[in-house]
Amino acid sequence: MSDMLEMRQVVGGYGEADILQGVSLRAGQAEIVAIVGPNGAGKSTAMKAIFGLLNVRGGTIVVDGRDITGLEPNRIVEAGVCYVPQVDNVFREMTVHENLEMGAFLRSGDLSAAYERVYGLFPDLKERRRALAGNLSGGQRQMVAMGRALMLEPKLLLLDEPTAGLSPRYMEQIFQICRDVRDTDVTILLVEQHAKQALAFADRGYVLASGANRHEGTGAELLADREVAAMFLGG
Amino acid sequence: MGALEIVNFYLVPGIVVGSIYALGAVGITLVFAILRYAHLAHGDLATLGAFLALGAVTILGVSPYVALPIAMLLTAVISVGIDKTFYAYLRERPKIVTVMASLGVALMVRSLVQVVWGVDSETYSRGIVRPENWFGIRLRDREIVTVLAMVALVLALQVFLKRSKWGKAMRAMSDNPDLALLSGVDNRKVVTLTWLIVGGLCAAAGVFLGLNYELKAMMGWTMLLPMFAAAILGGVGRIEGAVLGGLIVGIAEEMSTLFLPTEYKAATAFAILLLMLLVRPTGLLKGKVL
Repeated sequence: MSDMLEMRQVVGGYGEADILQGVSLRAGQAEIVAIVGPNGAGKSTAMKAIFGLLNVRGGTIVVDGRDITGLEPNRIVEAGVCYVPQVDNVFREMTVHENLEMGAFLRSGDLSAAYERVYGLFPDLKERRRALAGNLSGGQRQMVAMGRALMLEPKLLLLDEPTAGLSPRYMEQIFQICRDVRDTDVTILLVEQHAKQALAFADRGYVLASGANRHEGTGAELLADREVAAMFLGG
Repeated sequence: MGALEIVNFYLVPGIVVGSIYALGAVGITLVFAILRYAHLAHGDLATLGAFLALGAVTILGVSPYVALPIAMLLTAVISVGIDKTFYAYLRERPKIVTVMASLGVALMVRSLVQVVWGVDSETYSRGIVRPENWFGIRLRDREIVTVLAMVALVLALQVFLKRSKWGKAMRAMSDNPDLALLSGVDNRKVVTLTWLIVGGLCAAAGVFLGLNYELKAMMGWTMLLPMFAAAILGGVGRIEGAVLGGLIVGIAEEMSTLFLPTEYKAATAFAILLLMLLVRPTGLLKGKVL
């Protein structure tokens, strides 16, 4: 099976210091891959490296057969990758609908199918389409952020801690939406603080520590691994 | 003094000069909202616009109203050129560096105007225009055009920002620049577009100032403080706030001469600015950037 994402031995960081010391990740077509690990392991940094927000000094990043290493973020968007940051991920002074419009900024032509799809995934947003995104609750804002990213119909969706600060009810809802999105043939790579829940829900997972790969496997394998369990569940 | 005289000698001139400040303040607020620095060459760009219109009037022999769009277009292009020549290189540096650079640009632009057009006062047309009497309120055509043109330009800008794709990109850039970049918005294009609009508005402010008063090399520089006062008064980042602020500052300046010697007119804007920063630094309509 050809990989949607293949990240090989990536070294890099912000400024001069290297945070990533050789991280390798891969994600197949329509697969949910979770990156977990302790604080400071370089989880979010690995994701930002894919999106060109980092100085990558070594290794390659290939998306759907195309080398995107070192490209500008707007070129990477054109390659079919969308990124949802953890914080400040909506346009607060714009309406929900305008946020979705901005998501589709690079697209032209009829977008009604794209709106229908996003509003279908997030019925809550359809009701509040004229509300300013800054006035929504945290969970609804996360939906706007994901909806914005999905407007481009990406091949690969990068989610940075999509459930941070959300109630368990919203967390389950976001995970369910991720499954629905995956079933429309989108690959999802997500970074999660809630390691146990994320590994239980993802198809495969990676455990990073100190900017390098530590473990990888299916979610169930990782949850059963004693060393991984010790890392997250305190023994 | 009767109510009619107050309207004729204070309110009408206040609204006219307020409209001119409004045009400038909208540009200042746009630069603040999208580029996030105070642009000190704003007044001198208005001067340049006014003199470019004078050039069109003398060379082509057209009326100042025909010269207005020509001057707006030329100043818009020059503004983009200034951005690309001076400010673009400083974008990654602390904003104060660009603010200082804009002071340098202000001096350069003013010197250029002085070299080309001299230091004497000029007018678009000679002679005295008698105002028309509208039920006791005396208005000159140019005053009506100034106010209507301001309203039309601001409405056009608002429609552009609210409805068009690139207008929304400008708002997105002001709201959350990182996310705008992630959405595939090319920030260089937004910056260019911003300068085109700001330059055009600057020229309009300068032409109307020249039309209602006279053209001088220092005309824009002296307008800088009231324009900033207007932008801050209305709430930085708010177009409608800049218009409201411009009108308030303009009317307050004219009204102040009722109680104070005329020399203190310029101090009124400064007083409003200080008071506003003390009492409500976010401006009348809550600003978005500061």
